[in-house]
Amino acid sequence: MKKVLSLALALTLSLSLLAGCGAASSSAPASGSTAASTASGDSAEPVTLKWSVWDIDATAYYQPLIDAYTEANPNVTIEMVDLGSTDYQTVLATQLAGGADDLDIISVKDIPGYSNLVNLGMLEPLKSYTDAAGFDTTQLGGTVEQITVDGDYYALPFIQSFWVVFYNKDLFDAAGVDYPTNDMTLEEYDALARQLTSGSGAEKVYGCHYHNWRSCVQLFGILDGKNTIVDGTYDFLQPYYELILAEQDDGICMDYATIKTGSIHYSGVFYNNQCAMMNQGSWFLATQIAAVKSGESLATNWGIVKYPHPEGVEAGTTLGTITSLGVNSKSANKQAAFDFIEFVAGEEGAKIVAETGSFPALSSDEALDIIAAVDGFPTDENSREALNTVKTYLEMPMHEKSADIEVVLNQAHDNIMTENCTIEEGIEYMNEGVQAILNA
Amino acid sequence: MVKTKSSSIIGKIIIYALLILLAFLMLVPFAWMLSASVKYNKDVFSFPMKWIPDEFIWENYSTIWTRIPLLTFILNTFKLTIIVTVLQVLTSSFAAYAFSKLRFKGRNALFLGYIGTIAVPWQAYMVPQFMMMREFHLNNTHLAIICLQAFSAFGVFLMRQFYEGIPDELCEAARIDGLSEYGIYRRIMLPLSLPAISTLVIFTFVTTWNDFLGPLIYLNSTDLKTVQLGLRMFITQYSSDYNLIMAASVVSLIPVLIVFLALQKYFVQGVASSGLKG
Amino acid sequence: MPSQANKSAAAAATPVKKRGMKKETREALIAYSFIAPNFIGFCVFTLVPVIFAFVLAFMEWDGVHAAKFIGLDNFIRMASDPNFKAAFVHTIVYVIGTVPTTIICALALAILLNQKIFARNFFRTVSFFPYVASLVAVAAVWNMLFNPSMGPVNQFLASLGVENLPKWAAGNDTAMLTVIMFSVWKNMGYYMVIFLAGLQGTNPELYEAASLDGANKWQQFWNVTLPQLAPTTFFVTIMVVIQSFKVYNEVYMITQGGPGTSTLVLVYQIYNEAFIGTPEYGYASALSMVLFLLVLAVTIIQFKAGEDKDAPKKKKHAKKAA
Repeated sequence: MKKVLSLALALTLSLSLLAGCGAASSSAPASGSTAASTASGDSAEPVTLKWSVWDIDATAYYQPLIDAYTEANPNVTIEMVDLGSTDYQTVLATQLAGGADDLDIISVKDIPGYSNLVNLGMLEPLKSYTDAAGFDTTQLGGTVEQITVDGDYYALPFIQSFWVVFYNKDLFDAAGVDYPTNDMTLEEYDALARQLTSGSGAEKVYGCHYHNWRSCVQLFGILDGKNTIVDGTYDFLQPYYELILAEQDDGICMDYATIKTGSIHYSGVFYNNQCAMMNQGSWFLATQIAAVKSGESLATNWGIVKYPHPEGVEAGTTLGTITSLGVNSKSANKQAAFDFIEFVAGEEGAKIVAETGSFPALSSDEALDIIAAVDGFPTDENSREALNTVKTYLEMPMHEKSADIEVVLNQAHDNIMTENCTIEEGIEYMNEGVQAILNA
Repeated sequence: MVKTKSSSIIGKIIIYALLILLAFLMLVPFAWMLSASVKYNKDVFSFPMKWIPDEFIWENYSTIWTRIPLLTFILNTFKLTIIVTVLQVLTSSFAAYAFSKLRFKGRNALFLGYIGTIAVPWQAYMVPQFMMMREFHLNNTHLAIICLQAFSAFGVFLMRQFYEGIPDELCEAARIDGLSEYGIYRRIMLPLSLPAISTLVIFTFVTTWNDFLGPLIYLNSTDLKTVQLGLRMFITQYSSDYNLIMAASVVSLIPVLIVFLALQKYFVQGVASSGLKG
Repeated sequence: MPSQANKSAAAAATPVKKRGMKKETREALIAYSFIAPNFIGFCVFTLVPVIFAFVLAFMEWDGVHAAKFIGLDNFIRMASDPNFKAAFVHTIVYVIGTVPTTIICALALAILLNQKIFARNFFRTVSFFPYVASLVAVAAVWNMLFNPSMGPVNQFLASLGVENLPKWAAGNDTAMLTVIMFSVWKNMGYYMVIFLAGLQGTNPELYEAASLDGANKWQQFWNVTLPQLAPTTFFVTIMVVIQSFKVYNEVYMITQGGPGTSTLVLVYQIYNEAFIGTPEYGYASALSMVLFLLVLAVTIIQFKAGEDKDAPKKKKHAKKAA
């Protein structure tokens, strides 16, 4: 009897799931055409939009953005749904499984996440919306172009970060070395790091510091624009691995295995005056400023300069990440959701973002000035100038297989940096693994 | 006689030496938690490691209550844990009695099916399960977590194995005395299986209290979240406040320890066997 | 199985009643009524999704679009998937390394802490610590102890004059060993508690009889303690086996599957297939099914072995108790 019951339950469930899926897939193409017709929907009707986010309490810009928007559009209510940052992608995938319409606005954390959502058809194509609204996507500093797939884009970037070098002025003074400049080649940077390394045990000062992310090493290789990280051949990474491994063997930077097994966070290394220079994203600026104020950071005398670049590449070329917002293709309030996204990605939104200390995707001198004027930002000329970038390559470019490629690259990076295999073997592993993915 | 005495003294010394080594190895994580909870975040993972920080940051213990609604989280977790534990112990011991002492068709197959599901990793059926719960409109409710946790196969299996150790003769005698099966369960099996029930309570309590992935998927509203999710809120995209995580962990460990200590008395040798005699 | 005796006893004890309802049916109904509360909940919330996941093993499904039936393609794909091969081998290695060690350690610990010793409750609580303490803390401590450059373990080895110090979690050949040692240390307290509870059910009179017969401690352990603990040992063994096949957290905390793929295990791969990159729930389900069949096979072997051993022991036990 129980068996019958369970079978019946299983059957109804699977039927309802399949039916749900069927309906979802058949309605997907139709939704594109309805977009235009709902575009002029009247705005007075009350609308509640659900926005998936992470770290509500730790992120300064969500609430000001919502407040500013709802003040101008009193009929709109925006509810944030916090899915947590560490497991955002997993939770989001589960929440959206089967084509759920619970969420209207979807925050897209990174490019692999974006390409997934696009592949699954979860995001509404936005070109027709921006065209209708007259939104100029070129003002977003080329970021929209980088996430364009087959002539259309499915999200608008509103936050960006880019990599710079944080340095500890006191350690430079103690070593009697001149501060780094905004035009530093990789060789100059390496020489500087070697000059600044000193001491041992508790007194040890590392010349530079790399977190155990793949991007810290591999992405030096893409700054010349000749190669990308999703091509399927990785021989161009050889000199950069040689450079960093040599630093590691000579004790110029902290050992990768120690960082990984010891869960050592880069902020602690910088705060405790353990490294003279550190490559890190611009998100660390606000953290460091706050830590100096609270007394946690002992590196009180610090500055930033532009990212080191290979010979022949213009200074100010760096790598970065973007955070963007998309519209759930199953949402019942697509136009209202887009209107909010347009506001956030646009000039007003950018200003609010800058005021909270983050870098808006819509970058302007005005926004950078706002950030540099924050109390606690280094006062030297170079630090303000370091915020001007000429070209930002995404840490992971748009590619439909980017998430799978990333897994292989991380495995190889781990193996090379722990010296479990030679650089050549690691590169061979990447070549084979990624090509297998690309050809699948 | 003398020989055995001296050898037993040596044995005692060895035993205590082992115990002290053991206690040391086992207490290291707790010592680390305590030490990390009164440090600055930057010093938590710094090398070389300092067990006693230069400066005690006691504020961590007050900060945790203001940075996240920890009290709400603790109350939520208590509510969930207690309901799940009660349901789990009742239904499992009930079902286990049938699996161990009653005979019916399909018993072994059904039981194997129970155990079989333990072998399926949750990650494999998490998504279909979530979709089903959403159909029932149970997502973002505490009821979802209760439904997921309260009827595990683990409890049935555990209780059944303990009942296996209780001689069938006891039940037979009771049947001859005219007790119904329900009576045997309540008057004989339950009192005899106190150590087993304590074990199950401890495990259900610990599992539910420390569960992370379930609440993560099902509970989105802040006012529904649990302690483990709260701990995770100290880890943000670019930083992780491990000192606060450890301070909150120390606080959240207290209920678990109280439960364990309170149930210790049922682990005194001879509870079950004295019952056997009576 | 013990129920043979039950049936005859029950038959003798229950007079025929209730208008012609067959005795067997009646007994079965009573049994079902005991099982129902748990089973219904279990069925709806666990069994149905599990069955659904198994159906998915024969499909291609990304979680959004309609699932497509593809027969055995998912299983054929495994044959040429290097990650699956690696994960499969590592899982087996992990199980072989973990199961006996955990059981022996847990049993030894339980017997030790069942003696009348000073501060027994303290030591019991302490043994439970690695299991209940925060995952982050437990992993951090372990990684600190075994840190390749500055950990006390390697410093000790260096003081003994060992050259080529192992890299532990960061070394290709030692990473799995590190994970196994960590798992045993973290989980043995858990199984110790179960053994402790099992030991409460042992009959002290048997020890008295055995020591009168002149059996030494070791003989008592083999001939009195172990047979009485058989149901508990059975439970612990099956649970350790299942949990070891399903290992995920321990690997995640210590090595994240690395270096390279040297500690990649099946559940890790299942998670990756389902949630990293394009969701492949079908393939993930097929992998789960392989895991399930593997565990089921081992469990059935254990059941059979348990039954064979059970029968004579039960009789002996019954005789002595009488």
